[in-house]
Amino acid sequence: MKKKDSARFNKSMKRKLVVVFAVIMLALIALIGRLAYIIIVSGSKYARQVLAQQTYDSRTIAYKRGDIVDTNGTVLATSEKVYNIILDAKVLNDDPDLLDPTLDALTKCFPQLDRTELQTYIQENPTSQYHKILENESADAVSAYQALQESGDADSESVWFEAAYVREYPYNSLAASLIGFTNSTGAGALGIESSYNDELTGTDGREYGYFGTDNNLEPTIIPAQDGDTVVSTIDANIQSIVEQKIAEFNAKYKDSAYEGDGTKHTAVIVMDPNSGEVLAMANYPAFDLNNPQDLSSVYTEDELSAMTDEEKQDAMNELWKNYCVSDTYEPGSTAKTFTLAAALDSGAITGNETYYCTGGLQVEDYFIKCSHTEGHGQLTVGEALAQSCNVALMDIALGMGKETFCKYQDIFNLGKTTGIDLPAEAGGLLYSEDEMNNVDLATNAFGQNFTVTMIQMASAFCSEINGGTYYWPHVVKELEDSSGNVVKQVEPVVMKETVSQETSDLLKQYMGMTVTEGTAQNLQIPGYSLGGKTGTAEKLPRDDEKYLVSFIGFAPLDDPKVCVYVVVDEVNQEDQAQSSLAVGLAREIFAEILPYMDIFPDHEATDAENQVQAQVDAESSQNTSTDTTTGTTSTDTTTGTGTDTITTGTGTTTGTGTTTTGTGTTTGTTGTGTTGTPTSGTAGTAGAATVSP
Amino acid sequence: MSRIRTGRTVAGEREKHRRAEARRRSAGYFDYGLLFFIIFLVAFGLVMLYSTSSYVASVNYGDSAYYLKRQFAFALLGLGIMFIVSRVPYHFWYRFAFAVFAVSLLLNVMVLFVGQSSNGSQRWLAIGPIRFQPSELAKVSVIIFVSYIVSRAPRKMAKFSNVVKVFALMLPMIGLVAYSNLSTGIIVAGIVFILLFVASPKYKDFIAIILLAAAGAAVFLMTFSYRLERVKVWLHPESNPDKAYQTIQGLYAIGSGGLFGKGLGESLQKLSKVPEPQNDMIFSIICEELGLFGAICIILLFVLLIWRLMLIANNTQDLFGSLLVIGIMAHIALQVTLNIAVATNSMPNTGITLPFISYGGSSLLILLGEMGIALSVSRGIHLVDLNSELPRNKS
Repeated sequence: MKKKDSARFNKSMKRKLVVVFAVIMLALIALIGRLAYIIIVSGSKYARQVLAQQTYDSRTIAYKRGDIVDTNGTVLATSEKVYNIILDAKVLNDDPDLLDPTLDALTKCFPQLDRTELQTYIQENPTSQYHKILENESADAVSAYQALQESGDADSESVWFEAAYVREYPYNSLAASLIGFTNSTGAGALGIESSYNDELTGTDGREYGYFGTDNNLEPTIIPAQDGDTVVSTIDANIQSIVEQKIAEFNAKYKDSAYEGDGTKHTAVIVMDPNSGEVLAMANYPAFDLNNPQDLSSVYTEDELSAMTDEEKQDAMNELWKNYCVSDTYEPGSTAKTFTLAAALDSGAITGNETYYCTGGLQVEDYFIKCSHTEGHGQLTVGEALAQSCNVALMDIALGMGKETFCKYQDIFNLGKTTGIDLPAEAGGLLYSEDEMNNVDLATNAFGQNFTVTMIQMASAFCSEINGGTYYWPHVVKELEDSSGNVVKQVEPVVMKETVSQETSDLLKQYMGMTVTEGTAQNLQIPGYSLGGKTGTAEKLPRDDEKYLVSFIGFAPLDDPKVCVYVVVDEVNQEDQAQSSLAVGLAREIFAEILPYMDIFPDHEATDAENQVQAQVDAESSQNTSTDTTTGTTSTDTTTGTGTDTITTGTGTTTGTGTTTTGTGTTTGTTGTGTTGTPTSGTAGTAGAATVSP
Repeated sequence: MSRIRTGRTVAGEREKHRRAEARRRSAGYFDYGLLFFIIFLVAFGLVMLYSTSSYVASVNYGDSAYYLKRQFAFALLGLGIMFIVSRVPYHFWYRFAFAVFAVSLLLNVMVLFVGQSSNGSQRWLAIGPIRFQPSELAKVSVIIFVSYIVSRAPRKMAKFSNVVKVFALMLPMIGLVAYSNLSTGIIVAGIVFILLFVASPKYKDFIAIILLAAAGAAVFLMTFSYRLERVKVWLHPESNPDKAYQTIQGLYAIGSGGLFGKGLGESLQKLSKVPEPQNDMIFSIICEELGLFGAICIILLFVLLIWRLMLIANNTQDLFGSLLVIGIMAHIALQVTLNIAVATNSMPNTGITLPFISYGGSSLLILLGEMGIALSVSRGIHLVDLNSELPRNKS
């Protein structure tokens, strides 16, 4: 029995086990106390220490944000490598012999440095190891210093260079709100910079020391991963032609009826109707991407000094906004093409009907006037569109009924976002079928009382003329990685089918008549077959008599290759309701981009076409000879700085334009702007226009 | 000789009887509490291991999960071994105690001659693609062997000279392990000391030895400290920034973590500052990421594990089982305490890993094997069934 007890875990042992357990507990409690002591007494000191040594041998290697290039590879936005210059005072103080030569070398290579200031800093902060003495220095200045370091004339340990990138836009204001810019943290704030921010952004690398088994520092580098290059569908040549024409237009009407800009807004979209690719997207007023905060292009100095910060911010937001996708407006008569398309496609009319216009139509309680108040008389369907007759269109709309009308507004995606790859796209306001009464239907028929955006109009219009295919509008066609491999190709996306080929053919025929015998006759260009539709929309409130005039057109008539949509918002004229102004601007654009796009004349020039050409030539020569100031201002097109630059003269503006881009010449004298590099070519044209008389 | 044979027969009959009894009551006790703490610790260990090692792994191997994958494989293997061992009646180890000890001793001798070195010490034996540290095996073999010796003749422990004899018997093993890996040697010696302390009814002699050792250490430190760099570095880490680099960086990690830490994965010190953060210094990184709060939680977890092992030891029917569990408990308690003591610079720097959490395949396998033994011992516990006990006592 005794043996059995002793082979057991007896009471004495249990007691001793408790002692062991108690000792362990005491030890652990003491260790917790020790932990708390370290954290409470030295916590903040150690936390600082951790951060301080982080910068010393664990350096971030900045990634390069991807470029944005146009369809031909012209760089629209890029990141330039710059260097921050870091001084390690501790290393310098360890060897006083090096102090003087190093300071000599520094002040020699970077004249903006103050020697005494540096000396005081080194004396006062002898242990500092990371002092940024200069920011954003060019590689040239840095390599000069590095050469001195290599030859032994400067200490190589105490000064080092930290690479960083700054965003640069070689063409300044070109396609400003389309491209967008980056904010202080390097993220895209607008346009493509914003909508493709994830693709443009890369990953930072890291360089750090790893302590190996022998306690020596083994430098290791994880390289940075650069962002992708975004290839836009934009053609910088077309874009700069468009912007130049817009600027000339605004210069022409500046201060005419009242003191102020030529227009409130002028915006143009150029699109490929067979793919949905946007070839150009421009709006006035523009801003400089390299200095987006600068409001001097739209406000005078006095106005600026009177503004509060908040007002300035609002003004900037207004200036940065991309009118083509973010602003809604009543389209006016350009929308008649959709009314007609709906009626033809639904079978409500065949195209063989005739209408009689007496100058207005009584719809319930309202008498709605026609654009031509004396009345158009007897009209075929084609003539109704060509003459832009409200009465005929109201008859057609009332005839097909609101159900069909609303169905086609939906088919054409009017009043709804298109999903274009740009930020801040607006929708629009439409009547729903339930809310719509006959007066609404009648006014909607000629494009009043509902709102759309330009990109909606252009996309829907392209489907009307290409045989009925609605393509997703887009501004980016390809993504390439930093070594140039294509990582993503954006193919044209068919969103839906809108109208039949027959309807499309009829519409093109009618829109051809608009140019040859209707409201857009001054569009005619010798040898080219063109189609289109004008629009004159009365803005709210109606009593103010403010108008938004527009023109949407295409070429060639039978097989459309390009679509141009021009919107002129509140032109600086007594009578704003002149759609011919928009037509004129569209003609200027067509005349230059058609040859550039290898679209050639398709018939012998008619007398009417030659007559328009002669008239335009006469006008432009009159302008340049009589009104030099206008001519001078027109040279500011590429920089978009507007009013105040008259005194600085053309030579300077053009000159700077060319030096910053560093490309091409100023020889674009032909006026076509089809040769050479985009900005310089057009800038050259503008310069030539001023100098030639 | 004959006496021993008789003893064996008596023991065998008693064992048979007890097993029958256990089966009849369908006691089938199994310490699920212990199992829960083990699995929780292993899982938590994997999370922290990934957090601390991912950066270093991606730098050294181009795969941030390199260490995690390996440790995960070892954890699975270890848990498998644990379940198998927990099914083996622990008296198996009684029978093979000497064999296990002899093999372990042999392997530890072998490692001196044919061992592979890493980080400057020869600690690994390689059998084909498998590498393991025999010093880890030494711990468990010493636990089994000392338990065996003591439970063979427990009354002899009443005499202190016998206690000293058993300790002396273990000295070759301790010396052998300490030769290649001082810190593991200390742990092995500590395990033997605690086992003997519990087994022996003496107090004064042990206290005298502790006091003597403490006094000796103090005198040694005061007179020879300038000779021992390790001690110098411990006492004045700031003035030896090169040698005390690891210690200082560990302290920075602990201090910068504050009360609630920087958050899981947010350690800055693991990015190249603390060398091999997944090993000995993992506790510093845990403090940096989870703060004092997280550190206390982990210590509590270990306390619960140790408490659970103590309960098993207290309720086990025979001495051998109890001593096995106490040895295992001592092993874990010593490693946790010494690891944290090193991390907080409360003692000179020696490489001691944090059980279940630090990276290391051999260590994890042995620990989980030991847990299997503890679980096996827990199966032998009889739940006191008052209803069935009472009438039998009356009769």
